[in-house]
This record gives sequence, structure tokens and C-alpha cells, in this order.
Amino acid sequence: MLKRFNIWYFSSFAISIIVIIPIITVFSSFFEDTSQYYELLKNTFFIEYIVNSVILLIGVLFLTFILGVGSAYIVSFYQFPGANFFKWALILSFAVPPYIYAYSLFAFFENYGTAFTILKYLFGDGEYNKHIPKFSGMFGLILSISFSLFAYVYILTRSSFLYQSQNLIELGKNLGFSKFKSFYSIILPAARPAIVAGLSLVAMETLAEFGAVDFFSVNTLTTGIYNAWITFDDLAFANRISFFLLLFIFILFLTENFSRKKAKFHAETKGGFKKKEKIKLTGSKSFLAFIFCFTLFFFSFLFPLSQMLYWTIKFPENLNGLQIIDLLLNTLYLVSLSSLVLLIFSLISNYGNRISNKKFLNILSFLSISGYAIPGVILAIAFITFVSWFDESVIKALGFLSIKKIFIGSVLGLVLVYFIRFYSLAFNGIKSGYEKMNIAVDESAYLLGYSKSKTFLNIHIPYLRNSLLFVIILISLEIIRELPITLILRPFNFETFATTAYISASEDLLEAAAVPSLCLIIIASFFILFTSKYILKDTNE
Amino acid sequence: MSKNFFEIKNATFKVGGINKVNNVSFSIEKEGDIICLLGPSGIGKTTILRSIAGLEKIDSGSIMLNGKILSSNKINVEPEDRSISLSFQENSLFPHYTVEKNILLGKERKNSGKKKKLNINKIIKLLNINKILNHYPHQISAGEAQRASLARSLISQPDLLLLDEPLSNVDQSFKEEIQVQLKKLLKDLKITTIIVTHDSYEAFYLGNKCGIILNKQLKQFDDPYNVYHFPNSVEVVNFLNRGILIPAKVTGGDSLENDDLGIIKGKFIKHYPSGSNVKLLLQPEDLEHDDDSNLKLEVVDRKFRGTNFIYTLKTPSNQLIPVAVHTHHWEQHEVNEKFGIKRPIYIEHIVCF
Repeated sequence: MLKRFNIWYFSSFAISIIVIIPIITVFSSFFEDTSQYYELLKNTFFIEYIVNSVILLIGVLFLTFILGVGSAYIVSFYQFPGANFFKWALILSFAVPPYIYAYSLFAFFENYGTAFTILKYLFGDGEYNKHIPKFSGMFGLILSISFSLFAYVYILTRSSFLYQSQNLIELGKNLGFSKFKSFYSIILPAARPAIVAGLSLVAMETLAEFGAVDFFSVNTLTTGIYNAWITFDDLAFANRISFFLLLFIFILFLTENFSRKKAKFHAETKGGFKKKEKIKLTGSKSFLAFIFCFTLFFFSFLFPLSQMLYWTIKFPENLNGLQIIDLLLNTLYLVSLSSLVLLIFSLISNYGNRISNKKFLNILSFLSISGYAIPGVILAIAFITFVSWFDESVIKALGFLSIKKIFIGSVLGLVLVYFIRFYSLAFNGIKSGYEKMNIAVDESAYLLGYSKSKTFLNIHIPYLRNSLLFVIILISLEIIRELPITLILRPFNFETFATTAYISASEDLLEAAAVPSLCLIIIASFFILFTSKYILKDTNE
Repeated sequence: MSKNFFEIKNATFKVGGINKVNNVSFSIEKEGDIICLLGPSGIGKTTILRSIAGLEKIDSGSIMLNGKILSSNKINVEPEDRSISLSFQENSLFPHYTVEKNILLGKERKNSGKKKKLNINKIIKLLNINKILNHYPHQISAGEAQRASLARSLISQPDLLLLDEPLSNVDQSFKEEIQVQLKKLLKDLKITTIIVTHDSYEAFYLGNKCGIILNKQLKQFDDPYNVYHFPNSVEVVNFLNRGILIPAKVTGGDSLENDDLGIIKGKFIKHYPSGSNVKLLLQPEDLEHDDDSNLKLEVVDRKFRGTNFIYTLKTPSNQLIPVAVHTHHWEQHEVNEKFGIKRPIYIEHIVCF
């Protein structure tokens, strides 16, 4: 039987190995020499990098927990005006990457910024700047990232709440628990794996965040890596900081993974599930629920959208010279190429894992999906390191022409690193589709005379149709928003909405960043709206 | 070469590297015969079916169908290349296809080509699934899914059909009717079938032969009548819950003696020398009620079993023996009353160990 599986097994093996290369590169940095920057940094800013990263992480986790779990609870358990609208409107915050949120936040509250203009318009001239709070530095960064990422916690927690059976809630009532006690002693613990999973994703994204961190000039491990590479041209040291960050992320990643495994225990069986009746809120309670959700929706989506729209209208000259069609085509080109590659390879890899069921391959796949946990900056740098090493030590040593240009500063290199970074999204998206399919389905197909390939094409692909569509949208959304990899590895004169916005912002031309940011938000919103029915998929509503 | 239609020789069945059933041998002589494998849950019955279907490999022994080796330590024909269909106990329908499409996929199965023309509607009607044809698997009950899966397997007309607890989720009221129709259909289509079940009465009705799997072994493989009346080991007796074993001494070619019940006469199914100490299998229907008898025992329990009451009687040496009495029997006894047993005791088949 093994002979028949070999092709799938080896394809799966090869894909996993490619994706693991950056991790190996980062680890191997410990055996290389670094420049004096290492000594300099070790004695000066290194502790600051770590402390800032930890403060940022704690702040964001706290805020996303409150916002994500709070909104999920209200939307899942209560009926109030607008509840059905907020159910999907709250995920629109995904369309606003932290760096665009940061631009909006800063610009709105800065001296003589949008807030000042509004106050002046409403109340005439005055010393408003003194009274307008300033959101910069660490606080602004925590807010930007939290409002942009709380939806991870919201989506996963909401889905967990929805799958909680009415029996569980009735059990609390039977025991005479108050609503508050039911919430923290029954509902919350039952949703714990989902909440932890959501927070882990937020943590990984936070540690990997580059654009907003750079904009607010907060020194974290990620910016340290970028500086080591850009300012001191010290790849080995960049990799060495990456190692610490990776270690940190790996612990989070393992927590997330174990938490998901436990989540299986919380799954309801078909027979034991009883549809939950939402509690209808009236009066002030209904108003408060509406205000909470609306405020969240306003600050996470309407606020940055309005700010970018306002600038676009106020400074229409920024539209001139901006090749929107080119930017759109470039973005779509990267999205479609990467989605296609990711989809094909993730499908092959998943199927290889499913039918060969070898422990070694499972471990390898587990490691290979860690790409998502590795910040884009690290991946891009590790990729450059690896290509340079391979070019020098193998290609040139064998007397061939350099291959650097094929991979660095090219669409091929860009797609390859996107592949490594987002492989886990595609792999896990398809895997979760596969997990719902009993292995007896495959066996039934074999017993009906289907070969492995025919089973894959005729049974699996149609079954996974929705999962595949969801994965495509998810990857597209990530690539549209992606910044550091595109910034580091893009070909000369090849821009996307994200890089154009970043370049304008880094040149202190925030108004000019508005148009590409607005386009990015609109396209991402379109993808989110298209996919919301998959993201919010629930069987009991 | 073997003349049997299907044959398993000295095969050891494993799952996840753990031996489930060792050294199994049995055969199906004629095409169209039905074999039932009985045994408690988790004993390895399903593993045997999965191995026959090619979903698990075997390290020793061989499995042959139509004179061709399907599995051995060297050969393993892929499941899709065996003309064998397995109907799983759990729902194995393709979740993204309707019940109808699922069933019709069975028609795509390649088989030996000498099959009878099949009336699909007849199967659909027989299994009472006509109302759910347009439903998706998640919209139907476990029993309906099981019947749809059974229909798909039947329609594929394999050379060998394997059914894993095919009626375990089917309502009791409907079960007997399906058993009758299923047996008729399998015989009409001449589909050789191996059925795994834990329901002994289902096995005795459907099977031409029954195999009892206990303690990692195929303990008995015989006609249902023989399995029922002549269990070949204490384990089989206990599994079938056929009665109790009481100590006795062989006193002659057709008699033995128990301290509490006295002389018992009958036909030994196996010879024991006079004077041997044996354990006699005493089944509920072996003893007859007779209150005029001088052998009276105390009633310690009475179970209502529909057509019968099963009395549990205590002997002077504290043995508890079961006695079946028809529910309409003229005289009933309550717990603690004395219950008379007709003498002399005569047992048609004396089974001893």
C-alpha cells in the first residue's frame, strides 16, 4: 500500500521542507559572526526592545480580550436592534490594517489635525490643541493594533458561544446561578479554547507587526530586526534577534495548538445540541448593547474609513500621479498568483498527510505551518540570507551564474515568501475542512472502486469547495494588507496599495497615504463582505 | 488450489500494531452464502471486515476470494481493486451529495460483470428510504443513513459484501421486516455476505454459518443451530448467555448426577467415561415445572420476558439455576415460594465441559 502512497507522501514531505527552511536559517544564525552592532545593541537598546514588546503584547491582549469577548457575548446571547447587522459589521475591522489605523489615529488627534478642524468648524477659533488627547507612542500603538485585530477574538469566541448548547445554560439556571455567575463559571470556561486561540493569533500578529510600530517609532524586537538589517547591514544579527522573537512566538504557538486540541472536548454532539434562544433586550439594556457594538464598529472601521475618505476629498491633488489601476493590478496579480500556488500545494500536502498518516510527516507539517507565526520581516530577511548563502556556496561554487536576481527583488521571490508566510492559513483552512470529513468517506470511495487520485478529485475537491473559497479570500485579504515582505522583496518600481501608503506615511505625507489606504480598505472590505457568510458560518442560526 | 469461494487461512488481524484477533481460519464454500460474525464490542470484528476489504493489512495468513489471494504478508490488493463492498456501522455517506446521488455512486463500482439486473427502486423501497432521497446526509437520522449506506453497497453488487452492524441503528419495529427482506434480496442476487453483529438472534436468522469471536480468537464457526445448542466452550456459553454450568458426575452412557437435582438423563454430544466429573450446561428450557414433584427449590427471582418467565431457583448447595416457564402457564410463583421441578430430568442434548 505504501508504494501507492509514495507520490503523495513525498510531495507533502517536499512542501513541508521548503516551508521550514526560514526557521532553519534563523536557528543557524547562532553559528555566524555578527558586526559590532550586536555588542552595541546588547548594551543599550536590547532590553528596551524586549520590554516594549512585552508591554505592547500585554496591552493588546488585554484590550482585544475585552473588545472581542464582550462583543461576541452580546451578539451571540442577546437580541437587540442592529444585532444582526453588528454580527458581520464587526469583522469589517479586518479591512483596516494596524498601520492605516495608526495613520488615522495620529492624524485625527494631532495638533491642528482633523479633531481640531471639526471643533473649529463647530465652535469657531480656539485653543483646542491643549484639550485634544494625543495618541502617539505606545498607547496609540496598542489602540491601533487592538482595534484592527480584536476581530480574531470576536470571530472565534462568537463561534464557540454559538455552539454552546442551551442545555449548558439551562444547567446554570438549574443550579440557581445568576447571569453573571453563569457567564464566568459556565459560558466563559466552555469558550476558553476559542478565546485562547483568538488571543494567540492576536499575539502572533502583534509581535510581527511592522508598519504601525515603525510609524509610532516604538522600538520592539521587530523593528530591531529591521534596523539590524537596514542600518547596520548585519543579517546574522537580524537573524539572532529573530531567534528570540521566534522562541517567544513558538511558546505562544504551542499554547494555541494545545488549546485547539482541547477544544475538541467542547464540541457538541448532534444529539446533545439544543438550539439556543437569544434573550430579547428591552429599554436601557437594549440601548447599552447597541451603543457598545456601535462604538466598537465606529472606532474599528468607520473612524479610519472616514479619516481616509476625508483626506481623499480634501486633498484631491493626491489622486494625480497615483497609478491606481497599476496598483490594483499589481495587488491582484500578487493575490491571484499566491492564492493559486498556496491552494495547490496545501491541497496536495493535506491529502498526502491524510492518506499516508505517518507521524513523521505530521510533525513536519506541524513545524511547517509555523510560518504564520514568524514575522514577515524575519521571513524576508531569512529568505535573503538563505538565497545569498545558496548562491555563494552552491551555485557559484559549481560555476553557474548567480541566481540572486531571480529570487530577490522579483515577483517569484515575493510569491515564495508569501507562500511560506501564509502556508499555515491555507493548510489549516483546508485541514479544518478535511477534519469534518470522516475517514470512512475515503474508505467508502475506495470500496466503490475509486483510486486515490479519483477520490481526491471527485470526492474531496467538491466537498472542500467552500473551504477552498474561504482560504482564497483569507489569503487575498492577508496579501492585500501585507507590508514588510512586500516592502523588502518587491521588484524595483513595483508597488501595491500597502507599500504606497507606507512610503507616503514614512515621508510624513499622511494625506498622500490616504488614497492608497482608502483603496486598500475598500478592496479588503469587499473581500470580507463576500466571505462573511463563511467566516460567520453557524449551523444553529 | 482452494475450491472455496472465500477463504481466510491462519490470519492475524491487527489495528495500530495491536493484535486484535489471532490465527483466524474460516471459509465460505458457496457463492451467495451469508456468514455472521458475533462477538462483544471492541473484540475485533470490524477489524476483520476492514482487513477483508483491504483497508487494513495482515502480517500473517491469507485472505482469498474466487481463488485469488487478496491479502497475505506479501500481497495486498488495494481496496478499490477488490470487488468487495463494506457498509460501515457509522455514517459513511458522502456529505456533499444527496442520498440519491450517494446511492447511485454504487452503480459505478466495477465488478466481475456476471451480475443480475438490479431493480434499484426495489432496494430503495425495501429499505424505506424513498422519502429521503433528496436529503443531504446531515439532514437524516443515523438509522436512515445506515440504510442509505446499505443501499449503496447493495447496488454496487460486489463479489463479497461486508456489513458492519447493518441494522444497529434501525428501529426495532422495522428491524425484523428488513432482516426478512434483506435475506431474501441477498439470496436472490446471490451476493456472498459477511455480517458483523452483536445481536445473536439476527446472526442466527441471517447466517448460513456463524462465527463467535472471543478473547482474540474465533472460538466457534458452525451452523447457527449447532452454535446455539452445542456451544463448544465455556466462553461461548457465557457469551450467548445460554444458562449456567453446574457440577455433575457421569454415571453412564446416557446419564449423570448432580447433588441437588439428582439423576439427569439425555444424549451426550460428546463421550465422557463413567465416573468423570464434568460441568453440565443447564439451560432455562432444560427443566420443567411440576409442583407435584418432590424436588422443590426456592424462587429467588422472576423475570418477565414476554412469552416466558425466567425463574431463578436456589438449590440446597446455593447454586442459582434458571428455569423458563410459559407466561400463560397455569400456576405462577412469587419470590420465596417453593417451585417444583419435574423428575426424572431429561435433557435432549447434554453439553458438558
